[in-house]
Amino acid sequence: MFIRIPWWIGGILMAMLLLFTISIIGSDRPIGASTYVPYFAGVLFGLEPKEYTYLQKINNSGAWEGVMLLGVLIGGFISSKFITKNFRFSVMPTGWKRYKNKSVKSRLIWSFVAGFFMIIGARLAGGCTSGHFLSGMSQTAISAMIFGVVVMATLVITGHFFYNKKGIKDD
Amino acid sequence: MIDGIINMFETVAVMGEGSVLTVFIIGLLFGGIVQYTHVGKFEKIAGFSMLKDTIVPKMLFLAVGISSIGIYFMVEMDFASYHIKPVMLGGLIIGGILFGVSMAIMGKCPGTGPISIAEGHIDTMVGAIGGLIGGLVFTVYYDDIFQGIMGESLGKPNIDSMIEGSNPWTILLFGGAIIAISILIPKKEMEDEMFGSECKKESII
Repeated sequence: MFIRIPWWIGGILMAMLLLFTISIIGSDRPIGASTYVPYFAGVLFGLEPKEYTYLQKINNSGAWEGVMLLGVLIGGFISSKFITKNFRFSVMPTGWKRYKNKSVKSRLIWSFVAGFFMIIGARLAGGCTSGHFLSGMSQTAISAMIFGVVVMATLVITGHFFYNKKGIKDD
Repeated sequence: MIDGIINMFETVAVMGEGSVLTVFIIGLLFGGIVQYTHVGKFEKIAGFSMLKDTIVPKMLFLAVGISSIGIYFMVEMDFASYHIKPVMLGGLIIGGILFGVSMAIMGKCPGTGPISIAEGHIDTMVGAIGGLIGGLVFTVYYDDIFQGIMGESLGKPNIDSMIEGSNPWTILLFGGAIIAISILIPKKEMEDEMFGSECKKESII
């Protein structure tokens, strides 16, 4: 079994999956992956949907993505455990160790903060990499193109200033 | 909480956008594709932010190029319809900036994060807790703060609706150009050193 498929097979498969999902025999809706977060936050913290306009707004799409997410978690686990066999517990990506620092605390704090603002950002924009970039650009949506340009630019600017691109010294 | 989860399944069962099983399988395949191509790894997105890895944009652009042509013809044949998100400048720009900065630091996005958790990455799990609290804050302060930042909707345009006399050639040109970009972006890779040369054993197909 191959440990990894190349990017172009991945791209073709992802396109097929999106086409199936948006078709009337699939789900008649595009793929999205950030609405489930406030949806689960509502479930987890026991918010009463009647009291929050946002929960009413995302009732259907949040539930749809929530079910999809369960599939994503299981699909990712099956693939990492049995196909690519790279399931492993870890707290620090090797790229962080090499280009940022060796502190686990720093990685965990930055992860938490980035996770927080990532969801605020995605919900402000009305989508994320999946909903805007993948699904939106595929429908030639102008909103997705604005989002794509802003995200690509800030991503690369942040990468430039946040990481030490030459790599930190080993000691 | 259990009520909430049961309610989630019930909502999907009656909303008429694919059965619960279909939606679950879509997720299963999405997770499998992302995991099998390794694009859920920190090194892929953070690596792209440092311009040391281009697998994510290559794969994403290729998928978009193919799907854009596919969706256009599916819509023409009444086999699908457009679901365009509105242009809300405040939300798209401020949200996009917050999203881009966070994505570079976390090295994941909300779609690839769960796969990273499924691979055993505890740091992503901590990020997900941050995300859940972000989702909570957004929900609670939506009326008072966030809706105002997002701004007015300027409609839901796409290229097909904007260009008068748009025809199949418009989309073939658009899709073809995006596919060409995906091929032309030079292939660069940052490896996850935890697996060393193991990861380089990409299939030869």
